[in-house]
Formats: sequence, structure tokens, C-alpha cells
Amino acid sequence: MLRIEALHAGYGRVPVLHGIDLSVAAGEIVLVLGPNGAGKSTLLRTVCGFIKPTRGRIHLDGRDIAGLAPEEITRRGMRLVLDGHRVFPELSVRDNIRLGAAFRGGQPDFEAIAGPALEMFPILREKLLTPARDLSGGQQQMLALAQAFAAQPRVLLCDEPSLGIAQALIPQILGFLRRWAALGTAIVIVEQQIDSALAVADRAVVMERGEVRLSGTAAELKRDARVHAIYLGLDEEEP
Amino acid sequence: MDDLLVIMVRGIGAGSVFAMLGMSFNVVFNASGILNFAQGNMLVLGGLFAFLLLPAQPDALHWFMFLPLVVGLLGLLLAVQGFITLLPLRSSVEQHSWLITTLAVSVIIGAVLLIYQGTAQQTVRSPFPAIHLLGTRVPAAYAICAGLAVLWYGALRLFHTRVLIGLAISALSQDLDAARAAGLRVRRLQVTAFAISGLIVGSAGYAAAPVMAIANDSGISYVMNGFVAAVVGGLGSNLGALLGGALVGMLSFYAAYQYGGEFQNAVSLALLVVVLMLRPQGLFGRQAARRV
Amino acid sequence: MRASRGPAVRIDRATRVQLLLGIVCVVVSIVAPAAVGSAYWTHNFLVVNLFVTVAVLQNMLLADAGQVSFGQGAVFGLSAFAAGIVSGLWGYSYGLGFLAGTGMAIVLGLLFALPALRVQGYYLGFVTLSAAVVFPELIVALNDLTNGINGITRAVPSLAAPIGLGLSWIALMVMALAAGTLTFHAILRNTRLGRQMRVAAVSPEAAATLGINPGMLRFIAFTIAAAGTGLAGALYVPVLGFVSPYAFRVDLSIFFFFSVIVGGSGQLLGPVIGVWILYLVPNALLADLATYRLLGYGLIALLIMLALPDGVIGSIESFRRSRRMRTRIPAIAVDRVLSWTGARPRPAAQAAIAVQGARKTFGRLAALDGVNLQVAAGQVHGLVGPNGSGKTTLLNAISGLIPLSAGSIAINGTDTTRAPAYRVARLGVGRTFQTPRVFEDMSIWENLEIGADMRGGDDWLLRMLEPFRADWAANRPDLLAHAQRRVLEVLRTVASDADILLLDEPAAGLSGEERRDFARLIRFLRDTLGKTIVVVEHDLALVWCVADRITVLDAGAIVAEGAPREIAADPKVRALFTGSADA
Repeated sequence: MLRIEALHAGYGRVPVLHGIDLSVAAGEIVLVLGPNGAGKSTLLRTVCGFIKPTRGRIHLDGRDIAGLAPEEITRRGMRLVLDGHRVFPELSVRDNIRLGAAFRGGQPDFEAIAGPALEMFPILREKLLTPARDLSGGQQQMLALAQAFAAQPRVLLCDEPSLGIAQALIPQILGFLRRWAALGTAIVIVEQQIDSALAVADRAVVMERGEVRLSGTAAELKRDARVHAIYLGLDEEEP
Repeated sequence: MDDLLVIMVRGIGAGSVFAMLGMSFNVVFNASGILNFAQGNMLVLGGLFAFLLLPAQPDALHWFMFLPLVVGLLGLLLAVQGFITLLPLRSSVEQHSWLITTLAVSVIIGAVLLIYQGTAQQTVRSPFPAIHLLGTRVPAAYAICAGLAVLWYGALRLFHTRVLIGLAISALSQDLDAARAAGLRVRRLQVTAFAISGLIVGSAGYAAAPVMAIANDSGISYVMNGFVAAVVGGLGSNLGALLGGALVGMLSFYAAYQYGGEFQNAVSLALLVVVLMLRPQGLFGRQAARRV
Repeated sequence: MRASRGPAVRIDRATRVQLLLGIVCVVVSIVAPAAVGSAYWTHNFLVVNLFVTVAVLQNMLLADAGQVSFGQGAVFGLSAFAAGIVSGLWGYSYGLGFLAGTGMAIVLGLLFALPALRVQGYYLGFVTLSAAVVFPELIVALNDLTNGINGITRAVPSLAAPIGLGLSWIALMVMALAAGTLTFHAILRNTRLGRQMRVAAVSPEAAATLGINPGMLRFIAFTIAAAGTGLAGALYVPVLGFVSPYAFRVDLSIFFFFSVIVGGSGQLLGPVIGVWILYLVPNALLADLATYRLLGYGLIALLIMLALPDGVIGSIESFRRSRRMRTRIPAIAVDRVLSWTGARPRPAAQAAIAVQGARKTFGRLAALDGVNLQVAAGQVHGLVGPNGSGKTTLLNAISGLIPLSAGSIAINGTDTTRAPAYRVARLGVGRTFQTPRVFEDMSIWENLEIGADMRGGDDWLLRMLEPFRADWAANRPDLLAHAQRRVLEVLRTVASDADILLLDEPAAGLSGEERRDFARLIRFLRDTLGKTIVVVEHDLALVWCVADRITVLDAGAIVAEGAPREIAADPKVRALFTGSADA
């Protein structure tokens, strides 16, 4: 579904990604782990067009989309949920969700685009007319996901969905992503914390300094001591 | 006392034009961060079209017949201008080219007016009789403008909260990256915002034609007063522009009454400087949109 | 300028060529029409060269100082009117009028600088534009003082009389003013003041950490521009023999601004070409169609902005630069710096930095929540923690870039809690940023010089790098790889003689080899130069090996502090970085 090959990118002159390969199949959840500054968010922002890659290919359903604008990539079926539970603060929950489907044109039935998400996050249904700024961080994250769900993407990229969210809400959010993947959506989740999403992922990769250092099934990586060493900077000779 | 009443009533009427200019600034500014310096001359064009289309002794039917035409024409013109203004922003790192392009368009409109009518000032007769309000006589155009300003304020509110395109445009101002991630086509929405600002100034210029200076050099002073209205109210806030416009209008009428017409703009400038030094975010300025 | 830096001012070749061409344009445009005896063109070119003077200063204001002023026409007009009033209406000598005009222009320039302290960009543009709208209206309104719409007639025959070759004193004065202003601009850019102005315009934040007070530089820039514009305005009186409020409408201010953009903002020759194109083309081509001139001028400005966003000279210049063979420039020589041995260890104070109970809130969020930090002199102190833990906020607070909500900060025993960044920098605190603040419009050498500009003393670093000077002065930093830019930024703080260096994520974007070099550089700075270094870094491997002491932050509070080995073994710290209980 999504295939990334030898991707290089950076901010301005600061190179961040040095040749990333990654692929995700329909219905699969791939977790991207790595310490702070490893380039995980940069990877997602590059794949979704916010950063122009300097080299490499990004194939969505076999077609190279590298260099397209983010809004065009979303229209081709790949949706990014930015980190920091970003929603449109002045708009109501309902309008936030509607905007998620706005690019598909017409006036789609609200229940059709939002129903399954609202079923998983009943609190949102209670607050449909509340401005998004009045939601808690966790509710805003749910809203951001519900908005992305309304777009019905084939590939979903999710940047640190558990960041800044009450611990108790995380299982609910990850459970939603699991159900979503079961509908045939390819999902990439970026997380900083090792344990947070390993349970729902099928596969995981560990990035460090812009490169993929380890990859394997979630179960393999859970047992691999090298993961912790990478996080703590203890895996190599002293510079 | 009676004089003060006249100043207030007429000031609010004239201020409604500034308020509509302020709102038209806001629409474009919220969607794109651009302030359109040509907006004043676009307003004058609205007035000029009224002069060209309306017969010497117009009746209400004429007036209502040509209103949508002029409004639509200005909407189209602004959409084209918006498209041109946004062109260099696509590729260039120089993100301030709009300062020049919008000013240049303003100069070009002024120049066309100069070629067409020289330094003369056109006048348009109003089809409606003056109305009597609180014992004073108010030209109908002022009343119409005040009504239009309130109407536009309401319409923009509805547009930004009910209509999907309006919601999308306000989403741009709240979080540009999130809007792009949601698949909203930024450039098209920005051109749409330009077009809407054209509808606003088109209607304002058409309605205010009997009481405004339709001349080659009057645009810049409208831009200035519209901008002062927007800044006083808080750039981006339409309620602010509505009230800021009334305030600027009343102050400048008071200045004209007290010191003479040449001091109207000087008083607006003083107001602008005072507001920027003491409260740069204006009366109703909201905090910058949340960017995590 | 200090002797150790070589000749006082070196002007690079491209600027010299443009300066020469500019002066030739000025001189020829004044001498040639006079020589052939064309009164019409002689007169026109005197006006053009007055406009050139104003536009050159507008260029300085916009490109060097970063200030958007749409009001330079009002400054010009005020000077002309003051000169006209004093020497024409009040009957004093023209000399006195000349002084009065220049003086009034400076006053207005200072008035423009006031809002510039508070607002920038288009806000400032609008304020100055409004001033330009109001100015002629006030001239008309105050007709008791100004003679209103009738204007003021004041000829100065002694200056206008020919003295040879068809030239008059006034022609020579205009020529000297325009050529002198161009020369002044070329020199200014290569002085400490000019460099600091450009730095403050590009990044007020980075400027402040180099000891520059951006507000003060805005004042200076507006004053210089107003003074020169005032001289031109005062000369306008004898050139025309008449001043009218209609000559100084807002269009004139817009014309000056357009001239700079059309010619090429920041290019020395730009305003000359801009004024020629925008003034002469419509006047020459549409001489018989006066009403079409304004249209022609508006269209030229619009089309040039769309087609050549860098302006005419700017586009030629970037074409020329892209054509030129890019010779590989020598890499920034870390080894050469590291080989320096004349160390003078400094007497170490007890604590170079002492932070007590620091609190910083943004709205409801506490980015720092009661942080105490002691950094010992001569040590490398690592600050680590997850994203959003408050590391950079702490660094910014120490630099003086943001004020604390509560708590105190002392640098070498001096309380700096409320000191602005430029004061903190002058106490010897250098700073680098997550993305290196390397100034693209300056040569590599100038990027180092702005460090050395900051403090007196021995420029040992620049002296040592002297062999590279020719190459680095001729090249822009866009030729440097990221790691080199990082080193350049660090060397700049070394050149500034700072003894405390705050490094914000210096290893981001460096490769393995480059990180090893960087670690060597940090150790050299500590061991040989005796610097105190605070390093915020995600790359824990680097921190373990270079830091003497490490402070771990989470959610604005200190989690742990100690030597690297203790910290690396601390289970709390391990759990914090991995988000995993079984670390």
C-alpha cells in the first residue's frame, strides 16, 4: 500500500533522514520507535508532503507521490494526524469532523462519515456542538482521529497519538486504531515511548539519527535489549 | 448637542464603510496573512461602476437591478487579483511580495481612473430620499451602509460557522498545517476569500457612491481608514472591525467638525499609533491561533 | 576597527563594481545633459539623482535594517518644506533653511522609529504609509505656516548659476550627495555597525545573543535614513525653486519603495536602476501621454515583481553567481583551531551560572517549575530530557531571551534575572541555536566577524584563520555543509570571547564522523580555552562522553542530577527515556 525507498530529507540545510526504507500493507499497523530527535516526525511529515524529500521515493498504491503538496496527498488517500492533538480550536466537534470529509465534495451524511468513530468515542457524541478548544487533550486526540476517519484514507499516519494524554485514555485510542486497521487501512504509528503501542502493532522499526536501526515483529522487538541501548545512547563506542 | 448627534449619526454611517473595508481586510488576512492595499481603490471602483451604470436620476428599481452586477464584478476582479498576488508566494522564499503587488494594483487602478476621468470627482445621485433620524437629516446612503455593514457581519458569521467552505477558510487561520493535512486546498480557498472580500467592498462602494469621493486618488485614504478600523478592533476580528469602523467614522467626523476636513486622516493616524503603542492586539484581538 | 583585523574596511569585489557603476551613472547623468546643453534633461536628472539618494537610503533601511517604511516621501517633503518656510517665507538665508530642513527630517525619522520599537513588518508599513497620506494634507491645512496649496517659491540664484561646462553649484551638490550616499552605503555594510544592523534585521533573537540591541539599531537606521533624505529634501528647494504640497503625496513614498524593489532590494546599484526605470521609462516613452505615466509605472512595478522577484540587479547578480564556477572552498578547519596551544586558563568562579527556583509559565502550562541549576566554571554541563521537558526554555531564560515568571538567574555572580539578552551576552554568554543562525546574506568571514565585533580584546581566532580570509570573504555560507555551519556558529561565539557557551542541540543532523569531531571541539573549548559549556542534547551518547555533570529535566522539573555514570544507571532516568518499566 505504502512503500518508502531510500528516503532522504531534512529541514532547510539540516539533514535529518538518511535513506529510510519502510513499507506497510493494507490492514497492518507498523510502529516507528526511536529516541528523541531520531527523525520519526520528520519521516511522517516528509511522507505526507510537508517536507520535500531531497532523495528517494514514496509510493502510494504503486504511484510515486514524492513532491506532491500535502493536501493533494490527502486527496489521494493518505492522511496524516499531526502530533499534539491538533484540531481547529474555534470550530465545534461536529464541524471538525465534517471538515475531515470536506475534500471529498458533496454533503455526505454525517452519520456515515463519523458514526464508527463516534461509537468508539462516545464522549465526542455528547460534545458535538462544543468548540474543540474546550475539550481535554485526550478528547482532542480522539477528535483528530475522528476527523481523519471521516476522510476514509487507505493509509493513516499517526504522529505520537499518546503524547500528552491521560494514561487511562490510551487503550481506548489504540483500540480504535486496531479496529480501523481491521477495516483494511494501513496504519503507521510513531511513538517515542517504547511500551506505549507495541501491543497493537504488527511490526515495529526503531530509528536513530535518521536511520532505521532495528526492525522486526512487535514481539521480537519487545524482547530485544538493543532497543533500550539505542534509547539510552549506550549501544556504541564513545564518540 | 445637536451637532454632536449629527456627528455621531453620520460618523457611524461613514464608519460603516470603514467597517466593511476592515471586514474585507480580515477575510483575506485570516485566510492568507495578506493585507490587500488595493482594497481602497476596489471600493472606489464599486462607486465608479454605480456612476457608470446608474442613470442620472435613478430610481430604486435601477438601484436594485445593478447591485448584484457590481457586487459580482468586484468579486471576480478580486478573485483575479488574489490569484495574481498568490502566484509568487507559490515558489519564492520572498513571502512579502504581496506588499508590492497589492500596492501596484492599487496604483494601476488609480492610474486607470486618472486616464478615464482625469482629476475630476464623480458624483452619483441616490435614488432614495434622505431619512430623518433623531431630528437630523441623514443621506440614505449612510443608512444603507450601516445596514449593509451589519448584514455583512452577520453573513460572514454564518458563512464561517455554517457553510463548509466558510468553515474551511476559518480552519486555515486556526491551523494551516492541520488544514492541509485535512486535504483542504489552501490556494483555492485563499482565492475564494479574496473573492468574498470583493463582494464586500463591491457592495460597500456601490451603496456609498452618493456620499463618497469617486476620484483617482481617494483609494489610499479609504485603505488607511479601513486598516485603522481593523487594527483598532483587532486585526482578524469582524466584530472589532464593525465597532472600530464606527469609532473611526465618528472620530473623523468630529475632527472635521472641530478642526476642519483636512484633519480627518490625521486623527485616524493618531488613533492608529495610540492603539499600536498601547494595545497592539486591538480591542477584540484574539490570541494567536494555537500552534503546538 | 582594530589593527589586528587588517585594513579598516574591505569592500568585496561585487559591491565595488556596483558602487563604481552607480557613481558613473550619477556623474554621467548630471554632466552629459549639461554638456550638450539640454535644460530639460539637466533639470530632470537633478531630480532623478535626488530621488536616487532617497532610494539608496530606503534600500539601506529595508534591506540592511529590515524596516518597512512607506513614509520616506514625507521625510523628503518635510525637509523641503521646512527649508522653504525658513528661507522663503521667513526670509532667512538658504543655508539656515537647509539646516532646518535636515533637522526636521531627522525629527520625523525618530518619530517613525518609535512605532518600530513596538511593531514590525506591514504594521509599521501601514503606520508610515498613513503618515505619508496625512503629510500633504497637514501642509495644506496649516496654510498660515506653510502657504498651503499655493506652495512656496524660493530660488537660490547663487547656487543655480552656471560655473562651467554648463554645471552649477547645485548640480555639483546633487552629484556629490547622490554619489556620496552610495559610497556611504557601500562602506556602512562593511563596518561593525552595518553588520550588526543586518544581523538584527534577519534575526533579532540571534542578534541579541551577540550583544546587539535591535531596538537601538532600528533607531540608528531610521536616523541615518532621515538625515540623508533630509539633505536631499533641502536641496530640492534650489533645484526646483518651488515647493508644493502636491509634490509630496503618498505616491512619492510608494515610488521610493518600488524603486528599491524593482532595482533589487539589498543591491547597491538597485535603487539607481529602480529610479531610472520607474521615473525615466514612463517619462521618456510616454512623454506625450502624461496621464499614462502612472499606469506605465504601476504596470512595470507589478510585472517586475511577478517576473523578477529579486529585482533587476538582484536577478542579474544571482544569474552571475550561478554561472560562476563554484570552486570548492576549504572546509572550516577544526583541526587548525584545535591545534592552538596558547591557552590562558581563566580564574574559575565558584558557579558560572546559578539558577534559583526558576518558574516559567505559558498560559496555564508551566514550562519550568522550580528549577535550581548550578553550572560550575570550566565544566561541560549536559541538560537532557524528553521533548517539552523545558530544556530549551531554561536555555532561553539563561540567555535572557525570555523573562522568568519567578526565580532568579546569576551569571558569574551578577544577577541577570531581568536583564535583556544583549546585556547577558555582553557578560560573556555565547549561544548557538537548534538550527544554526548563519547569516546567508553575509560572507562566511563576516559571519565570524560579527562575533568578534561584539567585544574588544585579542582577535586571536581571526588572526589564526587569516590564511582562509580571502576564500571565506568571497563566499557565502550557502556553500557550507550543515556540520560546517554548526562549527561556524560555535567559532563565532568563540570569536566573541564569551566564556560561557550555551549550545542548543549541537549534534542534531551531524553524521558519526562529524559528531566525533564535534566532541573533540567541545573538549578543546573546555580544556584548552577554559570555557564553561551548557549543552542541551538529545544525543545521549554524546552527552555521556563529553559532560562533566548532567541534569535531567522532565515536565519542567529536575528529575536527577549527577555525573554521567550515575545518571546512565539511574532507573528513573532510564524509564523516562524509554517509556518502559523494564529498562
